[in-house]
Amino acid sequence: MPSLSWRIAALKNGFQDAVAYRLEFLFEVIGHAIVPVAVQCVIWYALFDLGGATQIAGMTYHDFILYTLTSMLFSQIRGGDHDFELQEMIRSGTLSNYMLKPVGVVEFVYIRGVAPKLLLTGISFILGLIGTFVLHLNIFNLCAAMLLALIGNVIHYQLGAALATTAFLWEEAFSVLMVKNMVVGLLSGEMIPLTLIPSQYAWVWKSTPFYLYVFGPTQILLGKWTMVQTLESFLVAGVWLCVGYALIKITWFFGIRRYLSLGG
Amino acid sequence: MNNSKSNAIISVKDVKRSFRSPKKKPGFWGSMQLLYKPEYQVHEALKGVSFEIEEGTFNGLIGANGAGKTTLLKILSGLIPPSSGEVRVLGFEPFTRPMDFRKQISLVMGQKAQLWWDLPALDAFDLIQAIYEIPIKTYKERLHTLSELLDVQKMLHTQIRRLSLGERMKMELIGVLLHWPKVIFLDEPTIGLDVLAAHNLREFLRVFNHKERATIILTSHNMDDIEKLCTRVLILKSGELVYDGTPKGLLKEDACTLKVTLKQRPNIEEVSTTTGIAKEKIRFEENGDEVEPAFYFSVNRAQVVSVLSGLMHRFEVLNMGFEEQSLETVIQQVYEEEKAESLRGQ
Repeated sequence: MPSLSWRIAALKNGFQDAVAYRLEFLFEVIGHAIVPVAVQCVIWYALFDLGGATQIAGMTYHDFILYTLTSMLFSQIRGGDHDFELQEMIRSGTLSNYMLKPVGVVEFVYIRGVAPKLLLTGISFILGLIGTFVLHLNIFNLCAAMLLALIGNVIHYQLGAALATTAFLWEEAFSVLMVKNMVVGLLSGEMIPLTLIPSQYAWVWKSTPFYLYVFGPTQILLGKWTMVQTLESFLVAGVWLCVGYALIKITWFFGIRRYLSLGG
Repeated sequence: MNNSKSNAIISVKDVKRSFRSPKKKPGFWGSMQLLYKPEYQVHEALKGVSFEIEEGTFNGLIGANGAGKTTLLKILSGLIPPSSGEVRVLGFEPFTRPMDFRKQISLVMGQKAQLWWDLPALDAFDLIQAIYEIPIKTYKERLHTLSELLDVQKMLHTQIRRLSLGERMKMELIGVLLHWPKVIFLDEPTIGLDVLAAHNLREFLRVFNHKERATIILTSHNMDDIEKLCTRVLILKSGELVYDGTPKGLLKEDACTLKVTLKQRPNIEEVSTTTGIAKEKIRFEENGDEVEPAFYFSVNRAQVVSVLSGLMHRFEVLNMGFEEQSLETVIQQVYEEEKAESLRGQ
């Protein structure tokens, strides 16, 4: 049976590390939540109030604002940047410190990194609960949306960890991960609702798992998806989890053979 | 096969390791050329090294910078695979890194921090306790012993980034020893430690090696570490094992260091030609006004007369004498020979 004790200890340690500088942590959370929401609100205001639009892609001004505020809950849960940490460890040789410990490196880095996200998930859940009472939303939908967002967090890391192995080949994977994050920003639905993308191009976002991070959970919470669509999204998430797991196994198996353990 | 070989806990057979890296020419065009037509260079870090190490022994691995010491430690600990050859540590092939293997080894790299910068050392040690599943009581006892020995009890709650270099090194050492490893690879462990801390650490390692029968391989440029701890020394020179034996074995009985002060100031080439002694075996030291500048010859006793007569024939000898041969001077000579060889290779 896999040992739980080190995983719990790593979570605790990761949380302590994240909040070592409390104000920094607070600013990061607020900045990540408020700034994108403010930018989106300005855009919606420009389109509807200044541009005079009444509906865009079947959504009213009220729908957009509601989407933006709801998606904020899930964009906080969306995967962090610990895949960047992995690539930096490969590049600088600090991966060696973890390789000799009796734990899986990729899992260890994830658990330490996800700790602050779990705290944010808790806060998002409480905010979501308040929202369900105010907006008369379904609590079951809130739980399902939170669960999907958490699975999305794992998938995000899995793909990032697999891409980080390009650092074994090129010694630097920063740009690869940066591009991935830019694509995620667009196709996860945290910048715009994916319904704004023309239907003939819907296959683009549907063929990636990114929509499961923010757009999917937001649709579930707002009751825009039927039960069948919700279950379907969980099935797709399950498939992506398996794909991500396999990708990590393969890329790390081959990548680690090229590791140089530079830097002393 | 003799009896000692059957106790080998580490076995290295004809291990080679080479690294390929891009070769960049200087300047802007060098960078541009790297983009469209990269050239590579291959560096052979290890050229067929073989040895065996018995359980419970304390071994020194020495050599000049770039001799291949750290590469060898990385292969032994499983961080990188050898290009060819066979390695066994505790019966495992290190690069496969099975969990049982990882639980029994430790690698301390003086240049590489393992603890988390923003957290107090105690938080990191708690995590290490969980990772290695050390019983709480044992963990507390070990932590107490190690922190007392290295005199860092009062700093356990301080953020790592706020500690001095030496204090950080002590914390690193505690972190890698908490699980009481059977095989320890120490790469420059006394870097940054003050005299007392280095002494305490040496003493601890000596006792740990003796009591726990831990097998230790130590690389260090500090010959005090090697002389006081190691029963066996392995010297690497340009990726080849050139000596494998006791530290005392390095001190040849008939070898000596002849110190000669001349009135003139010839260069080493001239002195070498005059005496017939290779340049690598001659060094010139000038330590300011207090000590007179002198030439030091690493020679056999039988060569002393011919060296002196050669010098007297051409120069005016002001003073002469013999210097005690130390491990440090012998190793220094090995390093100088290596440097001379690499210069000749260029």
